[in-house]
Amino acid sequence: MDTETQSDVLVIDDLRKHFGGLEIMRGVDLTIKHGERHALVGPNGAGKSTLFNLISGEHRPSGGHIYLQGQRISGLKPEQISRRGLTRSFQITNVFSRMSAFENIRIGVMARHGIRFNLYRRIRPMRAINEESHALLRQVRLDHRADSLASDLTYSEQRALEIGMTLATGAEVILLDEPTAGMSRDETAYMVELIRQVTEGKTLMMVEHDMSVVFGLCDRISVLVYGRILATGGPEEIRSNQEVQSAYLGEEEEH
Amino acid sequence: MRYALIAILALLALLIIAPPLLGTGWQYALINALIAALFAAAFNLLVGQGGMLSFGHAAYFGVGAFTVIHLMQSVEYGDFPFPTVLLPLAGAAVSLLCGVLAGFFATMRSGVYFALVTLALAELLHSLAPHWDEMFGGEAGLSSMRMPSLGLTFGSTLEVYYLTLAWVVICIGLLYAYTRTPFGRLTLALRDNEQRIRFMGFNAHGTKILVFGISAMFSGVAGSLMAISNETANYSVFSTQVSALVVLHTFVGGSTIFFGPIVGACVLSLFTFVVSGVTHSWMLYQGIIFVLVMLFAPKGIGGVIQAHIEQRHSLPWKRLAAPYALATLAGLMVACATVFVVQSLEIVLSREYAAAVARTGEYAPYTVFGLEWRVFHPLTWLFPLLLLVPGLYMLRRAFARIQTLWDNDESDDDGDIATTPELMEGGR
Repeated sequence: MDTETQSDVLVIDDLRKHFGGLEIMRGVDLTIKHGERHALVGPNGAGKSTLFNLISGEHRPSGGHIYLQGQRISGLKPEQISRRGLTRSFQITNVFSRMSAFENIRIGVMARHGIRFNLYRRIRPMRAINEESHALLRQVRLDHRADSLASDLTYSEQRALEIGMTLATGAEVILLDEPTAGMSRDETAYMVELIRQVTEGKTLMMVEHDMSVVFGLCDRISVLVYGRILATGGPEEIRSNQEVQSAYLGEEEEH
Repeated sequence: MRYALIAILALLALLIIAPPLLGTGWQYALINALIAALFAAAFNLLVGQGGMLSFGHAAYFGVGAFTVIHLMQSVEYGDFPFPTVLLPLAGAAVSLLCGVLAGFFATMRSGVYFALVTLALAELLHSLAPHWDEMFGGEAGLSSMRMPSLGLTFGSTLEVYYLTLAWVVICIGLLYAYTRTPFGRLTLALRDNEQRIRFMGFNAHGTKILVFGISAMFSGVAGSLMAISNETANYSVFSTQVSALVVLHTFVGGSTIFFGPIVGACVLSLFTFVVSGVTHSWMLYQGIIFVLVMLFAPKGIGGVIQAHIEQRHSLPWKRLAAPYALATLAGLMVACATVFVVQSLEIVLSREYAAAVARTGEYAPYTVFGLEWRVFHPLTWLFPLLLLVPGLYMLRRAFARIQTLWDNDESDDDGDIATTPELMEGGR
């Protein structure tokens, strides 16, 4: 067994963020363990997206630290964090719309292999890159759409592509921002199954509103309310937590 | 793919064989067309592939030109031996440097702000150059002479033509190869979604600087070739007109297709060569072409050609022949009417004509299309109307028909048109 410290992949320590006078993160402490599927839930405006933006480097924290595999990543740029093994997807579909599905994935694979400023080789004969891209495309079940433009894919296919691109960078820690938002029940079930498969052996942190997805997919859940973590624990623990019920779950059921 | 290669080789053979049979005027026009083609292709690397619309690319074209003129002067005075054939290398190097430097600042912003920064940088050079004698030769500019190298004297236009052709073909080939490299693919991804490539681990700013620099470098080669051909350069190479012209060439040709801007540049610069020799209104015609292409074929000439090539197997060519012929005829009628009106106005509203009217007190007949017309004769204005109105009507009919055939290309290849309800509706 790993020791406690080794199994902590992502450690967030007293993270604070304010925009002007507006305090969004009011001291978040959170630890994500290696290989777990961790859900971040909370009411609208709780700061879930802001927390994702802080972890992935879109915003700089106003205070506190973030550690990835024991190394500090707070204050780094998104590309530097991505190269250290943490990649995110986006709430709104964020793909390369005028490129084929295959090429969308291949850009991620290029990133994983550190191919960034290569101007002296053709990409067609790069077998490792192309085969890996095809394998990933199969993994997210889009191989039949390899040559379609990303903008021509259906909404749920685009979301699957989004996840494929996140995987392609070879990240060990994957942040998914509402991967099932706007999907029908069938599509959601399909997506949950897909996420379960592709994140096997990796660490997943996801923002999700659909409680059936959260309870079905995730090992641990953190509840974020007004910039603070209200509770962290397994599904049963969270479900039975009085504080959480009054702050969030109860409110959800009324709707 | 094989056909494309054959077509390119055939075109290349024509470009090699034909010029000796042409006069120096045409040779010179072809040199300018080739330079414009390379400039547009280099510009499109930034615009079409990188998604960064620059309004100041004249800066890097001009830097290439002045670099080469300086070097040619050193060679001419015997200060520094440098073979004439390799001059564009120097222009490329200096333009790359300037491009990376300017790109560093310009690419910190995107969209309109990026365009404004590039515009401002070019304007800076344009206003600075006339006052800086040592560097840009003041308002008169700098001149030099092409020195013989590698056994070639470069005394004749034809030799300069072949030098230009060689450089343009090599550079366009390199620009095409660029699109096939990993970085070329990354450039497209950058155009589509800059935020995403950052979160995938790429340095977006660095990528944009390099794309900008490479685009500037090839623009510098085009500028170098211009300097070699003209043996002179002055501050006007930095003007907004030069920057605007390459935008015009690129979009008329179609920025979404690699060969589009090259086609656009060749067509428009040869059009200018022919038409500017005949009429003062050539810029108006160029403007009309630009507006028409943007309105009716936003993907440009290249886009139209590409659509035809892609659909060549599924299009009902036999049934398209008649509406295409009709559209051509109608297009010619409308063009005739437009040209007639423009040329008539150009003559009648000219200062010379006004002076003649003042002198003699009468409106003399004038000549257009080899015929005499009187200003106040109804036939003079009825004639273009008689061409224009039926021409426009026929054009509409022809395009409606073409549209229907394109949209239904696969569904009823062998079917009788009249039996398909949607087709009947469209055909009416």
